[in-house]
Amino acid sequence: MDGDDLVRDYVGRLEAASWPLSPGRRAELAGEVREHIETALAEAGRRDTVTIRNVLERLGRPEEIVASEAETDAAAPGWAAARGPVPSPAVRTWGAVEIAAVLFLTVGVLLPIVGPLLGLLLVWLSSRWVIRDKLIATAIMAVVLVLAMIRLLSFAA
Amino acid sequence: VTVELVFVLVPLASIVAAIFLIVTLERRRR
Repeated sequence: MDGDDLVRDYVGRLEAASWPLSPGRRAELAGEVREHIETALAEAGRRDTVTIRNVLERLGRPEEIVASEAETDAAAPGWAAARGPVPSPAVRTWGAVEIAAVLFLTVGVLLPIVGPLLGLLLVWLSSRWVIRDKLIATAIMAVVLVLAMIRLLSFAA
Repeated sequence: VTVELVFVLVPLASIVAAIFLIVTLERRRR
């Protein structure tokens, strides 16, 4: 699958997921997302598969975009509401897991080692952060630990 | 060094990671 196919697939998924929105808003949203992708790719100066994947990952899952849009779409017709909630697990950006993760990573440092580790575990359990974010957060902590270990070993030697 | 690791470096790294995660999620929300 090449880069353009990835974009087409993403926008297709967005359109498929956006059934709860009013028809006008659906077309508008697809256009906005397409424009956003093009702007991000122009800024990146590349259109290779990896760049496109990164741009799409940063945008988030199409279902999440539609879910947050559905919350604010005052023009959504009554039939949309009557058909029940948007079928997406991620309606809000901040959920209980994310709040707990951040609390463990900040206030949780009062519990040495255990607090930050629990925080990190919750970060990995969360579905709101993408893998890239989780890896960076883990790397930040791992780098510090490795540096400290190197210092510890150099003292012991 | 162990005391420094447990009480300074790990909490510091943890807070930096938390700030990164907060910024990431907030940027995506906008």
